[in-house]
Amino acid sequence: MGLYSLRRLLASVLTGVIASMLVFLLVRAVPGDVVAQMLGQTSDETAARTLRAFFGLDQPLWQQYLRWISQALQGDLGQSWLGGQAVGEKVGQAFLVTAEIAIFTLLAAVAVGLPLGMLSGIYDGRWGDLLIQGFNLLGLAAPVFWVGLMLLVFISATFGWSPPLIYSGPVDSLRDNLEMLALPVLSLGLLQAAACSQFVRQSVVSAFQQDYVRTALAKGVPVRSVFFKHILRNISITLITFMGLIFIQILGGVVIVESLFAIPGLGRLLLSAIEGRDYPVLQGALLVIMLCALVVNLVIDLLYRVIDPRVRLS
Amino acid sequence: MIKTTQTHRLRRAAASIFLTGAALLAAPSQAADTDLYGPVAANAVQGGTLNFGSLVEPPGLDPYHQGSDARIRFTVLMYQGLFYEGADGRALPLLAESYETSPDGLTYTMKIRSGVKFHTGAAMTAKDVAYSYNYLRDPKSGSPGAGDLSLISSIEAVNDSTLKIVVKKPSAALPMTLGNRYGGVVPINYFDKPDAGTSMNRVSVGTGPFKLGEFRPNSHLMMVRNPDYWEKGAPYLDRVAITFIPNSASLIVALRNKRVDLALLNRQQDISQVEQQPGLTVKRWRSLNQKAIDLGSELAPLGDVRVRQAIALAVDRNEILQASVGQYGRVAYTMVAGMQDEWGADPATLPHRKVDIDAAKKLMKDAGFDKGMDLTLTTINSYDWMEPAAVTLKQQLARIGINLNIQRADLGVWIKNFQSKQMGFTFNDWATQSDPDLMFYRHFHKAPEGADFRNWNDATASELLDRGRSELNPVKRKAVYVEFQKRMADTVPTIMLFSADLVTIGHDAVQNYQQHPSGWYYGLARAWLKK
Repeated sequence: MGLYSLRRLLASVLTGVIASMLVFLLVRAVPGDVVAQMLGQTSDETAARTLRAFFGLDQPLWQQYLRWISQALQGDLGQSWLGGQAVGEKVGQAFLVTAEIAIFTLLAAVAVGLPLGMLSGIYDGRWGDLLIQGFNLLGLAAPVFWVGLMLLVFISATFGWSPPLIYSGPVDSLRDNLEMLALPVLSLGLLQAAACSQFVRQSVVSAFQQDYVRTALAKGVPVRSVFFKHILRNISITLITFMGLIFIQILGGVVIVESLFAIPGLGRLLLSAIEGRDYPVLQGALLVIMLCALVVNLVIDLLYRVIDPRVRLS
Repeated sequence: MIKTTQTHRLRRAAASIFLTGAALLAAPSQAADTDLYGPVAANAVQGGTLNFGSLVEPPGLDPYHQGSDARIRFTVLMYQGLFYEGADGRALPLLAESYETSPDGLTYTMKIRSGVKFHTGAAMTAKDVAYSYNYLRDPKSGSPGAGDLSLISSIEAVNDSTLKIVVKKPSAALPMTLGNRYGGVVPINYFDKPDAGTSMNRVSVGTGPFKLGEFRPNSHLMMVRNPDYWEKGAPYLDRVAITFIPNSASLIVALRNKRVDLALLNRQQDISQVEQQPGLTVKRWRSLNQKAIDLGSELAPLGDVRVRQAIALAVDRNEILQASVGQYGRVAYTMVAGMQDEWGADPATLPHRKVDIDAAKKLMKDAGFDKGMDLTLTTINSYDWMEPAAVTLKQQLARIGINLNIQRADLGVWIKNFQSKQMGFTFNDWATQSDPDLMFYRHFHKAPEGADFRNWNDATASELLDRGRSELNPVKRKAVYVEFQKRMADTVPTIMLFSADLVTIGHDAVQNYQQHPSGWYYGLARAWLKK
């Protein structure tokens, strides 16, 4: 276990280095640069030169990369080129907001999707299954921005209520925090609950077709016992994989929902950084998402062994 | 020394003539021009927090180094320059109390306003003013505003209340240049601190009516009343809470539910959703914005003036306006709507103004394109008006045998092409300050004095721009700019299409807010809330 963990850790570091290079190069592949954005269309050439030199954009790419990565390894992600704020602070604040959304969404998705998926799998082919599959289809097909917009407009028109506009952390004001996150979590949760339900359903249906389940049922073991003792344990690995994937997906992919509900999270930060060609912020945010993905993957790998000792860690 | 009060009287007289003409037009509102920031309210109620919803967000609040219009809109309330950009095109003394100009027009002696304190609590003197403007005009500062002040040869404080500015050539636009777009007066030696620019996101150090309360990127900006503000009684509001809402649907919901008291909307489909909403007032204001077609002469067929003229004759501005923003705009020919009354040429006197397909076809034939030609139009991503405008233009140009291809570019790429004078045939969307020199000179004067982004290289136009810059008599100055506009309409480096109105939506409780034609939120310093 120890050797395996060390090996996985080293592989993660290597992946991180390669990914950091990709991040660095990809953000620079976007046409246009920050100086043009800052100075506008009638900018002065001297001012543009001064700014390029100030940002180090006049240096070769490899030098820029080495400077950035060496600072990042020391915990310094630099400063935003547009606003001047510390990138670490900016990304950290945004990360906490998005992580909160991701956790709530995950809980909502599992709370709704897991029982629905199990019921659907157990009653495969019956009307209950069809009903749940209809819900799954709707949830998977409806675009998140559309669901969010409809919820916002519907609730506003019906109850004359809309979420607060200025984000408050759970410590500052739990009520404001929950009011602000309710609709975004609901919008994202519908899709993820549907995905979770579908995922679990497939696993349950597939498990019911396994020889050991058929044998147990043939020997007269009650369905409930078979389900909780054999099937649930076997689908837990796929469920954990699913949860990890969803968490990473939400961290990097809530741009539309965060923009729609004016939430100061990672997605909105990424979008504004791309629009402004704010490379340090863009790199910092992508690096954090990437590191999260590595950590989550590592944790999931290690959890496999905990859940099922038969899994070989090699 | 020539007292500028005389000059002001002349300009006021000229302005009143133009404004009389303007009154005949059924037009959007135009902000009052007699007071700084808008009309002083006699019955204003002090206090309260106004919640302002903004679709755009300033990347930072440093007025020296951040050129974004989204920054300027808000920082003009925290930082002040020597002059205020009056809505009618006049520069009104702001931190300058009065000024005199030498007979040769090269030396400005300014009396600096007394009793002004920085947000830090320190008193402002002419030394702070000299330091601030000298820093701003130094190209090494990296400020986008440095180029605007290149005509200045020296700025020095004569004593604590007197400032002397010497210019290389007379410049009628100098007061307007010393306005609030870039910079603003800050305490002397402020930029000696290495993190000075960044600090402006945390603490404001200007002299404006509001101080920075809190700036949370991607969330909100809180401005609080400056209790030491030099103008007694102003501002009326205790706080302005600006929330950045990038999605207009959410902004509309917030307006309806009174989470937001006031906002500026710019899409027809958004405005129409709140027009009939009880308790909300929609107001239209003239702007200094222009939507235009630029014709870069470096692109082979556009180097021929006959082709450019033919295109101008085929363009139906009103049709494009209707397709793009509907009723929320005004057709423009050679001057933006917000300056038409004061500086615009009479549209009836401009060549190539009316659609004339036969004349356009003849010009195309003379230019050797009687069998038509292909042309590519560049539009910019996320500029909503450009899509319908491009489709309409394609239909219009097809009538003279031009097959228009439409290509979309990201703003960053577009700006790069623009700056390197490789813009070709493109839509443009830009705003100006209310002075014709600031509007035209850099864009249209031939190099090296100007940037001549469209490769127009027109000696006559450049000579007119030089004369317009140095002419201090406002009546003669207008005549020069009218000539320039005729030259522009005749040789067509650009086809101005329309100025989109600035449309504000506010709750009935919001009183006395006037939208400045620049789109900047000066009016918040005069707004108050009915209880």
